[in-house]
Amino acid sequence: MSATAKTLIMTFSFLMIAVSFFIGWWAKKKVTSSEAYFGSTGMFGPFTVGLSSTAAVASAFALVGVPGLMYSTGNAMAFWMLSSAAFAMAYLILGKKVRAMAEIGKVASLGDLSDLRYNNNRVIKITMSLTLFLGCVAYLAAQIKAGSELFGHLLGWDPLVAGFVIFGVLAVYMSISGEVGGLLTQAFQGLVMVIAGVVIVVSFFNITGGFGEVLKVTSQAGTVTANEITKEFSPDMLNAWGSMPRTVAMTWMLIPILGTVGQPQVITRMYALKDPRDMPKMGLYTALSHTMVGLLTMVVSSGALYLVATGKIDPLVKGDRAIYAMADYAGITAQLFVYAGVLAAAMSSASLFLSICSTVVSRDIPSALGFKFEPKKQVQISRISMLVLGIISIVFSVTQGEMVGILGTFGWGTLMSATFPVFVLGLLWKRANEKGVMCGSITGLALNIASFAGFKWPGVLPWYFNVITISIAVTVAVSLITKEQGLSRKLQAVIDL
Amino acid sequence: MDLSSKKTAIIVMITILWLTINFLGWNDYYLVSMYLGVVLMLLYMMLGIAKQGILSKKLFFYCLIPWAVIWIASFTLADYYAALFAGAMPSFTILGFHPSFASIVVGYWIGGMLTLTIMYYNLKDEWLSQKDWDDFVKKIASIDETEKGGAQ
Repeated sequence: MSATAKTLIMTFSFLMIAVSFFIGWWAKKKVTSSEAYFGSTGMFGPFTVGLSSTAAVASAFALVGVPGLMYSTGNAMAFWMLSSAAFAMAYLILGKKVRAMAEIGKVASLGDLSDLRYNNNRVIKITMSLTLFLGCVAYLAAQIKAGSELFGHLLGWDPLVAGFVIFGVLAVYMSISGEVGGLLTQAFQGLVMVIAGVVIVVSFFNITGGFGEVLKVTSQAGTVTANEITKEFSPDMLNAWGSMPRTVAMTWMLIPILGTVGQPQVITRMYALKDPRDMPKMGLYTALSHTMVGLLTMVVSSGALYLVATGKIDPLVKGDRAIYAMADYAGITAQLFVYAGVLAAAMSSASLFLSICSTVVSRDIPSALGFKFEPKKQVQISRISMLVLGIISIVFSVTQGEMVGILGTFGWGTLMSATFPVFVLGLLWKRANEKGVMCGSITGLALNIASFAGFKWPGVLPWYFNVITISIAVTVAVSLITKEQGLSRKLQAVIDL
Repeated sequence: MDLSSKKTAIIVMITILWLTINFLGWNDYYLVSMYLGVVLMLLYMMLGIAKQGILSKKLFFYCLIPWAVIWIASFTLADYYAALFAGAMPSFTILGFHPSFASIVVGYWIGGMLTLTIMYYNLKDEWLSQKDWDDFVKKIASIDETEKGGAQ
C-alpha cells in the first residue's frame, strides 16, 4: 500500500474516532440521571436506537471474521450474517415486555430487570451478571485486539499504542457520558458501516460483474498456488452449505436468529426506546441496516474468491485478510470506508460491552451483595470503573493473544445462556420461578466455565448450543417440580401485555 | 386463539424441541433440525405476541405463518439443489447465485426479513395498540395508588 493511501486511511479513520469522541462528549449534557447513564432508559427514537442496535450486534468479527470464514469454507457462515429477520423476531418475542418493565420500576441495567422479575434474588442476579461478564469480556477483548492489530500493522505502530489511541478515546467518552454517549456514537458508527457497505457493494459489481461471474470462476478454478500458498476451489463452495459439516450451518442459522433476542445489546436497546409503539419501526431500521452489513460480508467473500480464482491477487495467507484484500484491490475510496467501517464495527461493539462490563462490576454485583450507593455516587464509581476496565482490557487484549483467542470462543452463545433462562423464559412464562431460574443460571455459568476449561461435548455442534439447551431444560424442569410462585400484580400485567 | 391455559404446555414443547434439535445435531440430522428450529421460533413468537393470553389471528396468519412457510421452503430447496448439482457447475443460476444458495438469499434472508419486518410494521396495533399501552400504564398507576393507600 502506498504512503499516500496509508496517510489518507489514517486521516479518515482518526476523523471517525474524533467525531465519535465529540458525540460522546456532547452527549454528557443528556446524562441527567443514573438511569440515563446506565441504560439510556426511554430516551431515544427508533432510528437512533435501530442503528445503534445493528452497530453493536455487527462486531469486527462480522466484518472481518465472517467473510474470512466464507472465503475459506464457503457459504455456510452466510446463515449467520443473513439473519436480518432476527431483530423483528426479537421484538415480537420480548420487545413490549422488556419495555413495559421500565414502567413498573427503575430499569437501567439487566440486573435491574432481574431484580424486578425475581424479587431481588441475589443468586440469580450474581450468576447472570458473572455469565454476562464472561461473554462481554470475551467480545470486548476480541474487538480491541482486532482494532489495535489492524491499525498497529497499518501505521507501523506498536499495537499497544494503537490500542490506547483508539480504545483509550472510547473509554474516556464512555466514562463521561455512559450509555447515552455509547448509544449515540454506536448510531453514528452504524451509519459509517452502512456507507462502507454501499461503497464495497458498488466496487464488487465493478470488479467482478456480479455473483454469476464469481460462481463461474469458482467452479472452474480448481487449485490456485502462489507464494507457497494454495487455495482449493470447488463448484460446491458456493452452494448453501459450503464445505463445513451441514450441522454447523444449522447452528449458524438457529443461534444468531434466536440468539439475537438474548443479546444484551438488543435487550438493553428495547428499554432505551422512548415510545414502545415505535418498536416495529425500529425493526425496519435495524433490518435495513443489518441487510446492508450482511450484503457487505457476502460481496467481500465473493470478491476475494473471484480475485484469487482469476489470478488477480495471490491466495490469502489467512481468510481474515479477505476484506482488506478486496478493499486494497478496489482502490482508495473503498479503502477509506472499509478500514473506517471495520474500526466502527470494533468500536461500537467494544463500547457496548465495556459499558455492560462496567455496570456489572460497579453496580449489579455490588448491589446484589448488599452495597447500595446514592445515584450520583453510583455514576462516579462507574465512571472510574469504566476507565480502569478500559485500560486493563486494552493491555490484556494486546499482550495476551493466546488467552484472547480462547476467550474468543465465548461471546454470543455465552450471552444467550445468561439471558434465556432469566428473561426469555421469565417474561414469557409466569410459572418460571426463582428456584428454576437459579438452577438454570448456575448450570449455565458452571457449564460455560467447564467448556472454557476444555470440556469436550459430543458431536460437531458448537459447545454453547449444548450449554443453552441444558440451562433452558434445567430452568423449566425445576420450575415445574417446585412450588408455583405468586407474582406481583404489576409483573402479571407486564407478562400479560 | 386463547393461549392462557396452554402456555406451560408450549414452554414444555419448546424445551423438548431444544433437546431434540441438540440430539439431532449431535447425529448430523441438519435439515430436520432446521425445520424444528422454525417451529421453535414460531412457538416463541406466539408466546411473545399473545395479548392477555390471546393470540392475534392476523399476526399469526399474515406474519408468522408466511414466514415459517418461506423458511421451510428455503431450507428444502437449498438442500435439493445442493444435491442436484453436487460437484458440478449448476446448469442455471438465480440472480447469479447457485440455485441452492439463491433459495437462502431469496427465502431465508430477504423473504424472512420482509415477511416478519413489514407485516410486523403493518400489523403493529395487533402487537401493541395505543389503547393497550395506555391501559397498561393506567393499570400500573392504579396498582401504585392502591399499594400507596395500603401502606398508609
